[in-house]
Amino acid sequence: MRVMATYNIKGGVGKTSTAVNLAYLAAREGRRTLLWDLDPQAAATYMFRVRPRVKGGGHALVSRKRPVQAALKATDFDNLDLLPADFSYRNMDLELDDTKKRTSRLGQLLDSVAAEYDMVFLDCPPSISLVSENVMHACDTLLVPLIPATLSLRTFDQLTRFVADSQGSRPEVVAFFSMADRRKRLHRDVIDGIARDRTRVANTVIPALSIIEQMAERRAPVPAFAPTSRAAQCYEQLWVEVRPR
Amino acid sequence: MISATQVLQAADDGPLKLESILKVLSAQFAAVPSSKQLVRRRRLDTFDRRLEAAGLMLEHQIVAAGERLVLGRSDGSGTMAVSVKDPRWPALVDLLPSGPVRDAIAPVIGVRALMVSSDERRRIQRVDLRNGEGKTVARVELDEPASVAASPAKLTVRRLRGYDEQARRADRLLVGLGLRAVEQGEDQLPGPAQQMPVTDRAVPATALLAVALSGFLATMRENLPGLLDDVDTEFLHDFRVAVRRTRATLKLGRPALPEVMRTRWEPAFKSLGDLTTPLRDLDVYQLDLPSMSHWLVTADPTDLDPLATHLGRRRAVARRELASSLRSTTFRRLVMQWAEELAWLQDQPEGGGRKALSAGRLADRSISRAHARVARGGALIGADSPAGDLHGLRKRCKELRYALEVFAPLIDHAARKRAVADLKGLQDVLGRFQDSEVQRHAMRGFAEEMMAEGTTAGAVLAMGELIGHLDVAQERARREFDAAFARFERPSSLQLMHKLGGAR
Repeated sequence: MRVMATYNIKGGVGKTSTAVNLAYLAAREGRRTLLWDLDPQAAATYMFRVRPRVKGGGHALVSRKRPVQAALKATDFDNLDLLPADFSYRNMDLELDDTKKRTSRLGQLLDSVAAEYDMVFLDCPPSISLVSENVMHACDTLLVPLIPATLSLRTFDQLTRFVADSQGSRPEVVAFFSMADRRKRLHRDVIDGIARDRTRVANTVIPALSIIEQMAERRAPVPAFAPTSRAAQCYEQLWVEVRPR
Repeated sequence: MISATQVLQAADDGPLKLESILKVLSAQFAAVPSSKQLVRRRRLDTFDRRLEAAGLMLEHQIVAAGERLVLGRSDGSGTMAVSVKDPRWPALVDLLPSGPVRDAIAPVIGVRALMVSSDERRRIQRVDLRNGEGKTVARVELDEPASVAASPAKLTVRRLRGYDEQARRADRLLVGLGLRAVEQGEDQLPGPAQQMPVTDRAVPATALLAVALSGFLATMRENLPGLLDDVDTEFLHDFRVAVRRTRATLKLGRPALPEVMRTRWEPAFKSLGDLTTPLRDLDVYQLDLPSMSHWLVTADPTDLDPLATHLGRRRAVARRELASSLRSTTFRRLVMQWAEELAWLQDQPEGGGRKALSAGRLADRSISRAHARVARGGALIGADSPAGDLHGLRKRCKELRYALEVFAPLIDHAARKRAVADLKGLQDVLGRFQDSEVQRHAMRGFAEEMMAEGTTAGAVLAMGELIGHLDVAQERARREFDAAFARFERPSSLQLMHKLGGAR
């Protein structure tokens, strides 16, 4: 089982769209896939038309009062399951803080479903917290969407330092540009100017396209409702770049 | 994940009406039918049904939009699929696209090829059952035959993880329509017909021997087409095992069988076994080559490429020769006459043998003698015994093993199982010793042939390393022999043999 997390300290950079679309593509390839919507805003859960509710909330999961399996929901797509968000996840930091292994509990929870899935995607909330630390320990790849802007790069530097300083196993960090608008000079400059040697930056750039915004309206991944669209092709290209060999 | 909860059929196995199904389901769900799809379903499994035995079901599904391999459990749970492009069957697992389907079946099927075991054209229509959010909470699949000979129409309710209650509600609604539930896995493939084993110790020994020999003949016949078509290496392996078992049974049955078995059929099956040896040896080298390459210390695995090519060439020649012999009139006549001989033997009320020996008496005598030979042979093995003596002992062990198998219906099952386990330990050591011996000589022979053809120095040096490794492995097996034989001869093992009629 490989774990991939879409993460950024900033919000509104395309984490959920990426997690939903890549999870769909992984499942379409035949990989048994799970997407865990860790964000209490529950956008990924909404896109799969699943009720954002986990019986007993985040507390029941983190304290292991209820097994992860009991909370899983099949999506409308073959091979793709969802562990829905719950509004109580807003307190997940506190729940994790109460456990013995406060930085590795999410990884332990995922271990309990390791036999059932080939790929797990974690759609993370925009923050830097104990949840983030857990995500760092649980995932093999940290996929970081970046809006091509100077402040985004600054935040990305903070993130890479945070990963480098974290204890124990560290994930591979892969950044990619998201919501890019080639008509804007600044976007072009940032994309072309990023020092690709300091970290792995995917060649694929996800453009800012209205069809990606339509995901919330259509409540489905882009490759499912617009399989020939440019956005679908970009996500396919990104998946080919980042998927486990 | 999706799994089947219930499979339903019309009470008279007749067609199912979609309109009635939709009407009844609409009471609680938004039932959204997809368009009808013509699907060619080719069920895949190995010749010996390894997937079925592991509770797996693999299908190659062909629809207008493309082709895919669908793997699920026989109970309908845990389906996974992968797109494929025009695959040709039979195929070895390496030829499947990499991914979870291949990963799941590779350890189950091993070196066996996937073959088409059934091929049906069906019309499939999926009905999504949705809740108020437009979320699919269960699926119903209407599966109708597209040809007359195919199995009857059926309706499957598929449960979606986390929505069990909704699937149960759909079940209840459909059962109310007057449909009957069908057992899961009812469409399992029929197994080969098998003769009832002889379990009465008092029946003439020839009756038991005839049943056993007929079983081996059936195995030879079943494996012959796959062997001739070179589907996978196991067809030849299983064919050879059946030949070896035939030879051993003829030898064990000498006191009861007519003279013609010894004078004509024993040599005939020895020749048949010998005929298949060169190809099997080459198969083994080819199959072992990837693991042998891990033995290399200084040489590179690619240095063995010329050996792989050489083996491939030699194998092609050996296969042609064997296929030509097995397609000959001589072989066909041999099989036909052997079948007639066995039919005659089975028809003899008093056994047709020289003496009216009972099956139980022959079992005791055969196991006892075979065990005594192993015990005697093993006791004579010393530090300076030549390799040939260990090889001879290995043959005696095989005879004892076959005796325990042929007479299995007459002896205590649990005791036999434990005795075989004890014997296996000794056979394993002797097998490794002899295989290393044979492979060392063969490797030297290949090296000489390849040098004459102008092979690379790297290839010869790498083969030298392999010979060195085999030498060490043989030495290790030799050192382990005393302990393995002591285990075979320990009091508890002898007691077990005594119970089976073996040890005196």
